[in-house]
Amino acid sequence: MGAAVAGWTVAAVLLQVAGLSLFLYGFFPVKPTLRGFSGEESYQVPSCGSVSAGQQEPALPPDQLRSLYRELSGIPPVYDRLVLMVIDGLPAEFVLGRGRKPPSKEMMESMPYTQSLLAGCKAAAYHAKAAPPTVTMPRLKAMVSGAIGGFLDVAFNFNTQAFLEDNLLDQLHMIGLKLVMLGDETWIKLFPTLFTRQDGVSSFYVKDTVEVDFNVSRHLEFELAAKDWSVLVLHYLGLDHVGHIGGRRSVLMTQKMKEMDDVIRRVHAASLLDNMNRTLFVVVSDHGMTEGGNHGGSSYEETDSLALFIGHSVESPYCSPYDQNEALQVDLAPTLALLLGVPIPKNNFGVVLPEPLNSLTDDQKLRMLELNSWQILRLLQAQVPAFCLEECINSEGSIVLDILHESIEKKLCHLLSKAFSSHQSSRLHRGSDFKSVQAGYYGTAADNYYGFLRYASEWLSHRATDKPLYLLVSAILLMTVSCLFLMSTVSCLLKGRSLSQVDQHSESYLDQRCHLDEVLVLAGMFLYVISLGSSSFVEEEQYTWHFLTSTLYLIFLTKAIHSMLKGSNPTLGHKAEESFDKSNFSYATSFELTPGKRNVYKLCTILIVLVAGRVIRAWHQGGINWVHFPDISKLLAQADSSVVKSLQIISFLAVVVLFSVSLTLLRARSKFVIGVWLTHIFCGFLVLLHICANQISTSLPINHSTASIARQFYVIASVSISATVLASPWVFPIFSTEAESASSGSSPVKAIHGIRNSLFLTGITYTAFWGLLQLLLQQPINAIPLFLIFLQTVSSVVHFSLDKTLHKQWVQVVAMQFLGMAGHFGLGNTNSLASIDVAGAFIGISSYSTVLSGILMFMITYASPLMLYLGLVLHVSVKDIDDISTLRHLKWSYILDKMVTLPCLFPLLINSLALTSYTIVLLLMRNHLFVWSVFSPKYLYVCAATVCTYVGVFVIAMTAVYNCAVFKFRARSYRDKSQ
Amino acid sequence: MRAEFSQISALTAAAAHVLCFAGLAAAHALAGRGALVSDPALALRLVVVCEAPIVIAVFSYLRRDTQSCSFFKAVARGLIGLPVGAFLNAFGAIVLGAPVGIKYWIATIYWSLAMSLLTFVPAACVFGTSKIDWQNVLSHSIYFTPIDVENYMISAPCHGAVLGAWLGAWPMPLDWERPWQEWPICVTYGAVAGYLVGMSVSLVLIAVHKRRVRAKTD
Repeated sequence: MGAAVAGWTVAAVLLQVAGLSLFLYGFFPVKPTLRGFSGEESYQVPSCGSVSAGQQEPALPPDQLRSLYRELSGIPPVYDRLVLMVIDGLPAEFVLGRGRKPPSKEMMESMPYTQSLLAGCKAAAYHAKAAPPTVTMPRLKAMVSGAIGGFLDVAFNFNTQAFLEDNLLDQLHMIGLKLVMLGDETWIKLFPTLFTRQDGVSSFYVKDTVEVDFNVSRHLEFELAAKDWSVLVLHYLGLDHVGHIGGRRSVLMTQKMKEMDDVIRRVHAASLLDNMNRTLFVVVSDHGMTEGGNHGGSSYEETDSLALFIGHSVESPYCSPYDQNEALQVDLAPTLALLLGVPIPKNNFGVVLPEPLNSLTDDQKLRMLELNSWQILRLLQAQVPAFCLEECINSEGSIVLDILHESIEKKLCHLLSKAFSSHQSSRLHRGSDFKSVQAGYYGTAADNYYGFLRYASEWLSHRATDKPLYLLVSAILLMTVSCLFLMSTVSCLLKGRSLSQVDQHSESYLDQRCHLDEVLVLAGMFLYVISLGSSSFVEEEQYTWHFLTSTLYLIFLTKAIHSMLKGSNPTLGHKAEESFDKSNFSYATSFELTPGKRNVYKLCTILIVLVAGRVIRAWHQGGINWVHFPDISKLLAQADSSVVKSLQIISFLAVVVLFSVSLTLLRARSKFVIGVWLTHIFCGFLVLLHICANQISTSLPINHSTASIARQFYVIASVSISATVLASPWVFPIFSTEAESASSGSSPVKAIHGIRNSLFLTGITYTAFWGLLQLLLQQPINAIPLFLIFLQTVSSVVHFSLDKTLHKQWVQVVAMQFLGMAGHFGLGNTNSLASIDVAGAFIGISSYSTVLSGILMFMITYASPLMLYLGLVLHVSVKDIDDISTLRHLKWSYILDKMVTLPCLFPLLINSLALTSYTIVLLLMRNHLFVWSVFSPKYLYVCAATVCTYVGVFVIAMTAVYNCAVFKFRARSYRDKSQ
Repeated sequence: MRAEFSQISALTAAAAHVLCFAGLAAAHALAGRGALVSDPALALRLVVVCEAPIVIAVFSYLRRDTQSCSFFKAVARGLIGLPVGAFLNAFGAIVLGAPVGIKYWIATIYWSLAMSLLTFVPAACVFGTSKIDWQNVLSHSIYFTPIDVENYMISAPCHGAVLGAWLGAWPMPLDWERPWQEWPICVTYGAVAGYLVGMSVSLVLIAVHKRRVRAKTD
C-alpha cells in the first residue's frame, strides 16, 4: 500500500513538473534579445559569424559621438529637436477615419488644427498598429525601442522598472541631447535618470480628467520658450481617463480632443518659430480603446493607435490623409532614430516609414533603408544563428524563382540579396543623366528593401508574441492528469482509512454525517479556485486566505465548545475522553491534565491562533488596490526606530522562550537535548547581535561585522540542525522506561514512544531555527508577525494533540497549510512582484551571487508556508497513531505510512489544485486586460509556491523515513541482543 | 418524550417568525430606502430598537421550561443574552477581518447587537442554560435527525443569518468601488437574507416534522 501510494505520488509530481515546464516554455517565450547599445558598428555591414559583437568601445564624449555618427552615416541629421507628444488612448480612427473614409464631422470639428495640417499635406499620419498587451508601459517601451518585450524580462529584473534595453531616448541622451518630460510618470519609472526636467503625473485617479492634463500644460509655456532642451516628451492622460469613464462616445470626448488640438497648435506654432525649422513634432497615441473605453486586449479598436509626423521633411505637394495608411507602432523607433541621426536601437524590428523622409534625396532614402536592413539583419542573426549575408549573396545564382517552397530563412535571404544588389545597381547609375532611369532604379531598390524589411519585421514580431496553443493545452492536460492522480490516491486512502476506523472506533467518532470543518475545507477550496478567475480576488488574495483560515478555526472553536458541552453532560459522557492512553506522548499528557483543564487549553489554543491571525492580518494591509490604507507596519514605520528594535528583541525572546518551554515537555531531558538548546540559545545570541549591530550602523551600506555575524549564524545553525536531525533517532531510547517496566517490553504502542520523541525534537528544532533565521533575514518590521506565525504553528499542534478525535487528520494538515498561506500574505507579500524583499537577500553574502541570494529571497518570501511545513513534522510527532495497538509486531513501514502519508499528500494535492486551476485561468485570460499586470506575476508566485511545497514535503518525508529507518535498525539489533 | 409537554404548533412558530419579520420591516420602513448604505449606524440602530422588544418578548413567551421559568425570567435571560451574543458576534466578525478603526466602532457595535438579536437572543430566551439544546444550536445534525419544533425554529434562522453574513463578506475585496461594499453593509444584507431564508427553511422543516410525527402516531 505504502509503496504504491509513494509511486503514484512521485509519478504525479513528475507529470506536474513536466506540464509546468511545458506551459512556462509556451506561455512566456524567451526571445533572444541583444544586449548593449547600438554604436558605430551599426553603420557597417554585419559580417557573418560575429553575432555577439560584444566588444565595448571606450565611450566617446557626446559631441564626438555625434559627429562620428554623422560622418559614418553619410546623412546629416534631418532634425535637431524632437517634441514627442503622447495622447494616451487616442484611437487613430478619431483623427484619420476608418476604411478610407474621413472621421465623422463631429470628430473633424473637434480637432480643427490637426485636420488643417493633414489637409494641407504638412503632416503625415499612420494607423500605427500596437501589439497587445495594449497598456501604457509596454507600449511606451515598444515605441522607444522598436521591440516587443516578453513578460519574463519584466520578471527577471523585478527590482527595477527601469528600462535597460537599447532605446531611442538613451541613444539621444548619449549624443548629448537634453531631455524634458512632462506627463505620465511611467516615463520616469522607465527612465529614472534621463530627464533634465520632469513633472510626472499619476494615472491613479482615473476619475480625474482635467487636472492630469492641466498639470502637463501648465509647464508648456515655459518649456516651449526654453531653448535648452532637444527632446520634449509630453504625455497626456486625460483622454484615456475620459474613455475609462464614459467610453468612446463620452460627452467629454470632443472637449478633450479640442484641448489636445489646442496643445498641438501651440507646440507647432512654437516649433515653427524655431529658427532653422529643425524641430520634428510627433503626435502618437500608445493604444486605442474599445467602445466602452477599455484597453489591454488585441481588438482593432484597441490596437489602432496614431502616429502623426509634423515637420519640414514631411511636407509634400500631394497627399491623401484618409487613405488608411497602415504601419506598426514599432516603426516609430527606427524612423525617429534615422531622422535625428542616432543608431537604430538593437532590438528594433520596426521599418522606417516613407512619408517623413519626403524631402530627402533618393540616395539618402536608400541609405536609411540600408541602415535599417543592416540592423534587422543583426537581429535576425541573433535569432537564426546560421543566417549570413555573404552566403545569401553568393548563393543568389542558385536560387531560381522557386521561392514559394523555400524555407523562411531562404526567403529572407533571397529578399535581402535582391535588395542589396538593386541598391548597388542604383548606386552605379547615380551619375546617369537620365532622371527617369535614376528614379526607376531607386524605385526598384526601395521596393526591394521594403519587401525584405516588412517580411522580416512580420516574422520577428510573430516570434515575439505567438503562443503555441496546442502546447499550452497539452501542458494543462498533463497537469490535470497529475491532479487527478493525486485526488484518486487521496480518496482511496481516505476511504480505506474511514473503513478501518469505522469498525474500530465506531463510537469514538462524532455522530454527525458530514463534519462542518470538512465541508468548509471543500467549499473553501472551491471558492478559492473560483476566485482566481477574478483579477480583484487575485490582487487581494490575502483577504481570501485570512477569511478561510479564520473561518476554519472558528469552526474548530465551535466544535471544541460543542464537545465541551457534550463532554460535561453526564448522560452523554463520551468514551473518547477515557479512551486516551495516558502514556501517549503529547503536550497534554506531559502535564497530566484533567478533562476540565484540557478543555480550557483546547479553547485557549484556538483563541491564540485566531487573535494572532487577526493581528498578522492587520500588520500589512497588503494587496494592490488598498495598499495605501493605514496598517500597523505603516504606523511603526513612522514611529521611532527604537520601537521597532524593541519589538524585534521581544519577538526574538519570545521565540527562544517558546522553544525552551517546548523542550521541557520532552520528558527525556538528556544531555543531547540540553546541547540542542544551548546551540539554539547561542544562535539566538548571534541574531540578537545582528539586530543590534544593524541598528547602530544603518548608514554604512555594507557592514562587515554584521555580514560575518550572519555568516556565523548560517554555519552554526546548519551544523546544529543537521546534527540534531541525524543524531536524534539514535539518542532516544527505543522503549520508554515505563514501557519496559510494564509487562510486555516490545508492545508496539510503547515502542513508538522513541520515534515520537525523536520526531518531536527534530520538528521543534526545525521550526525554532527557521524562526531565528527569519528574524535575521526579514525586515525588522516583520519580527512580530514572524513570532505570531511560530506561535500559531505551536498552538495548532498543541490543539490537535489535545483531542485527536475532534478533527480528522487531513483537516488538521489542511488547517496548517491554510495558516501558512495566510501568514505568507501577513508578512507583507502580495501577488505583484514589487513586494519581494530584495534587501534581505544579501544579508551575510559578501560577493554577489545570483544563486545564493535567489535562495535567500525564496526563503524570505516563503517564510510562512515553509514554517508550517516544518511544523507538520512536529504535528506528525504528536499525532496519535490510534490503530497501532492492533498490531502484534512492530511494523515500521506501517507506522511510516500512517504518520507521513497524509501530511505529504495533502499539501501536494492542494497545491496541485491551485496550480492546475490557475493555469487554466491564465490560458483563458491570455487576452485579458490584466494578463501581464495581474495574472502573470501571480503565476510566477504559484510556480514558486509549487517549488515551496515540493521542498516542504521532501523535508517531511525524508525526516520521517530517516527516523523510521534508524529505529527499525535499532529495534532489530535490540531484539537480536536480547535473544 | 420531552418534546410532548412543550410542543408548539407550526402556526405559533410561523406567527413568531412573522412578528420578527415585521420588526425588520418596520426598521426598514423607518430608516427609508438606502439608509443602510448612506448611514449604516443609524439603520442598524433602528433595527436593534425595533427588533429587540419583539424578539425578546416573542421568544420569552415561547420559552421551553414554562413551569420552572417565568416570563420575566426569560426576558431577563434575553436581556443578558443580548450583549453576550453581541460580544461573540463582534469577536467572530473582527477575527474574520472586520475593521477595528475608530470610525467603524459604532457600526460594529450596532451590527453585532443586531446579529445577536437574529442569532443568540432567541436561543437564550427559549433555552436558558440547557446544555443539550445549546449543543443542538451549535451543530448541524438537526437537519438530519428529527428533534423538535423549537430547535428548528431557533436554529435554522440563526444558522441562516451566520451563513448569510459569511457569504455576504465575499464581495468586499472586489474593486467595484460601490458604497455597499463597505463594512458592515453587505454583511448585514447577507445576514438578513440568510435569516429570511432560514425562517422559511425552518417553517418547511416544522411542517415536514409535524406530518411525520402525525403519521407515526397514526
